[in-house]
Amino acid sequence: MREQPPTYYDRPALKGGHWGYLVATYFFVGGLAGAAQVIAAVVDLLGHRRDRQLVSAGRYLALAGALISPVLLIADLQTPSRWYNMLRIYRRTSPMSIGSWTLVAFGTFSGLAAVGQLASDVFGLPAGRRVARLVGVPAALSGALLASYTGTLLAATSTPFWATGYRILPALFGLSGTATATAALSLILDRCGAPRASVRRLARLSLLASIAELTLSLRQERIWRRAGVAGPLEEPPLALPYRLGAVGLGTLAPLAIHVTQVLTGRELRMASTLAAVAALAGGYTQRTVLILAGKRSAERPRDYFRLTAADDGLRD
Amino acid sequence: MMADEAQLTAGTRVQPGERYGFFTDTTLCIGCKACEVACKEWNLLPAESGGLTGHSYDNTGALSATTWRHVAFVEHLRSDGAERVTAMQPFQSNWLMLSDVCKHCARAGCLEACPTGALFRTEFGTVVVQQDICNGCGYCAPACPFGVVELDVDDGKAHKCTLCYDRLKGGLEPACAKSCPTDSIQFGVLSELQARAATRVQDLKSRGVEQVYLYGVDGVDGSPGSTGGIGDLHAFFLLTQRPEVYNLPPAPTLPSRRVRPGLVRGLAAMASIAVATAAIFWSDTRGA
Repeated sequence: MREQPPTYYDRPALKGGHWGYLVATYFFVGGLAGAAQVIAAVVDLLGHRRDRQLVSAGRYLALAGALISPVLLIADLQTPSRWYNMLRIYRRTSPMSIGSWTLVAFGTFSGLAAVGQLASDVFGLPAGRRVARLVGVPAALSGALLASYTGTLLAATSTPFWATGYRILPALFGLSGTATATAALSLILDRCGAPRASVRRLARLSLLASIAELTLSLRQERIWRRAGVAGPLEEPPLALPYRLGAVGLGTLAPLAIHVTQVLTGRELRMASTLAAVAALAGGYTQRTVLILAGKRSAERPRDYFRLTAADDGLRD
Repeated sequence: MMADEAQLTAGTRVQPGERYGFFTDTTLCIGCKACEVACKEWNLLPAESGGLTGHSYDNTGALSATTWRHVAFVEHLRSDGAERVTAMQPFQSNWLMLSDVCKHCARAGCLEACPTGALFRTEFGTVVVQQDICNGCGYCAPACPFGVVELDVDDGKAHKCTLCYDRLKGGLEPACAKSCPTDSIQFGVLSELQARAATRVQDLKSRGVEQVYLYGVDGVDGSPGSTGGIGDLHAFFLLTQRPEVYNLPPAPTLPSRRVRPGLVRGLAAMASIAVATAAIFWSDTRGA
């Protein structure tokens, strides 16, 4: 343990964010939609005919997310009538600005891709499918940014808990977005009676995402502890929701179910549904807990002083 | 041509294109809070709810959306009460006071985080929130390395010290500096203030106050007062104790430095996902 720095009556040296459930929900929805678009585009370009339902579901899910996200963000503004000022400038030092424009691009391309998909799915127009496939590429690129920039949005602040996450949080959010997208897609495919081969492949992708997410979570926890800023996650009230919700439900539970299914070679529909619901609930809990932990972190002057004085964990 | 009032009160002519700032010499502060009052009056800032904090004479607490000057009070009394205040050394006698304010950083975290351009760099080198543009996204608040700018949930905009932008436009010295009875707060051209501050440090050292240093003058790397990538603080301080004692971070960092490495790693993760998806769903017979 390093020397305890003095403080000014333990008063916060920083201002925390005002973010709450609206932004947490946006992180969840945006991550899910962005990752769904990436999966849809890749499967459309390289996958098999039987995976068509997956592509359709991915495109519609992405569009739904693209429509909900701006509503959540505008609702979070303290002067929502001026939302359009977000599009007044582009500022490359501001993840908030980068994110606003990413959302514009993602919304536009996702809309076009979904229209093309709809034309193909409902009216059987082959041109619609070609449009969807073509526009799906920029939609997936903006989706990749949408799913992961939220980690940078947190990291590019002075909040110790978030700032020390700049190496991991963006990737972690991207992977968690993927895990939740595969969970949502598998629920949809299951209800649509999609081919089992399609669902099985999706489960495999979900398994990979969960393993990667768990690995990154553990690495991030080590970074937080080493920098001395892990307090908010280790103390009540966030310790339990983080362990049980974000890690337990979000990664461990689906991981255990998927591994069991692969090892036994038996797939219970009930178990798959359970894994998907757990992944979704865990993903939402993860965003909420990490946002709340940052707000608590900003109120801990010792964490902040220790971090800036040590001059590590904040520079690349 | 009429002289600027600032020329009479601060010996400085206010001209666009120059960089202006505050030099706050904490060894001269007597904790009168005239700066806090002058700031509130000129900027028409509402009072915050009263009440006593129990933290020495500091009942203001912190800078906020409606408090743009804040005098910090630090008492160093021995806990056993054995040392009487009257027995202490007369200079900086374990009574530290500092009038905190927005630093108007050369590279400002708040400005770099602002997605609307509401936060901008003025012709006087200062950083100001344009109230008719701010939409209350609140991202500037956690971005500031000094916890200065705050989102006011009552009017839905971010607020902080403007270094009296309106007064500068009219050739007036900022209200807090003008009201300071001991010249602990000095207003002027930044380079002139820095030279004056360096002389003051030498003067104090020659008189036996060894531990004085400047907080927020770039270039003194490694010292607790260095500012990393933030550059010069347009409001800088002469301190006699570690920065933390006054609630100032030692060697803070610029948040926007973490943008590029963060984005790159996030996209790399998503690229891996795309590759994994391709590997899992790969098929020779495309579905077209």
